[in-house]
Amino acid sequence: MASYYDIDDIIAEEEPVSVIFQKPANGVGIDPSAEKNCVDQGSKVELPFWLANELCQRNAVSVLVPACFDEKTRLEIQADPACVDLRSRSPYFYEFGCKMVPIVGDRTLGFLLFSAFRSRYKEVLTKAHTASHVAAPKILSRLTKEEVNLYEAAQSSVAAFKKWRVGGRRFQPASVLGRKRRSEE
Amino acid sequence: MAVQSEPDYSLFTAQEIEFVAEDELIEIVPNMRMDPLNLICGDFGPFLPQIAAQVPLWLAVALKKRGKCTIRPPEWMSVEKLTRVLEAERDSEREFQLLPFHYVEISRLLFDHARDDIPDIYMVRSLIEDIRDVRFHKVQSSLETFDGRTSAVQIKSLSAMEVNIVRPFVARALQSFQKLDSLLPETDSTPNNQPQEADKASKGRRVLRGR
Repeated sequence: MASYYDIDDIIAEEEPVSVIFQKPANGVGIDPSAEKNCVDQGSKVELPFWLANELCQRNAVSVLVPACFDEKTRLEIQADPACVDLRSRSPYFYEFGCKMVPIVGDRTLGFLLFSAFRSRYKEVLTKAHTASHVAAPKILSRLTKEEVNLYEAAQSSVAAFKKWRVGGRRFQPASVLGRKRRSEE
Repeated sequence: MAVQSEPDYSLFTAQEIEFVAEDELIEIVPNMRMDPLNLICGDFGPFLPQIAAQVPLWLAVALKKRGKCTIRPPEWMSVEKLTRVLEAERDSEREFQLLPFHYVEISRLLFDHARDDIPDIYMVRSLIEDIRDVRFHKVQSSLETFDGRTSAVQIKSLSAMEVNIVRPFVARALQSFQKLDSLLPETDSTPNNQPQEADKASKGRRVLRGR
């Protein structure tokens, strides 16, 4: 699922997350606006997800639900999932949400992700297979990375099929042969 | 297969599917005499003038290009049969009509190389296009009914090219659904699946799961 070298995974883990420190931390200048070099207990700091995850496993912080899953987004998703611009919230909406579920204390996050994906999936399905290149940019700007993957997979296979159907030469001379050769004399 | 453009899911290009389709047997009427051909895939011949013979499609096309035979179109490729298939496709919402697995590729090859051997070629061509459109829309509408519990998809009587088009999309969609479904707390959803399975098995039809 999450592989160490997967670029998308790495970037998804960079998303900022608000945490509240349960224990004071000395000698770390995490909060750039603070003058002193340590973090007090109970202070709220924005950290990247990978750091928040590690600290949470050591029970040093408690994680709050990030802004992209807030009430406004939830209401929008319940109203009409297909039109919500998830990319502006976070291009890694689903991946990030999947990682958040075990550490944040919110039971409904999983349901939210799942229902959003299921409703949007139908839209992606129909648009991907039938839309031409002209209509593409409108919906693409609303999809997260994962949905764009799906979309492009379908697009490329439909395009390849259409190209094949038109026909054409089965065997093409290799491009290497096209170049003029210098005479060996 | 040969082209690894997406490392996650091996994809057959359309040309590769066509290559596999060329192994299908088809009937030809040679106009010359030739000794039997002993090929790895089988023995064909001897070829006598005006006596029909069954050969693989690639061999038929090659002979036709050299002007040594005429190809007899397969029996499913007549205007009446195709019209009936089209009507049946339009009538039934979920089921696909039984067509040869490689009908798209075979028909395209025959249109390209054996134009004069097919009666009413324009009618046949438009019928096949319509059938393909209807089937593809049916595939799309039946793919809409996924949910988290779907672990495999079975569609009966789908042809090779149609499967190839939806293959990457379906694979990725299923993976995403599984990933998101694993986030949900465990509900007692498994008992639901059992009676559905028994129903489908008893009907003898293989339908999409999760419907």
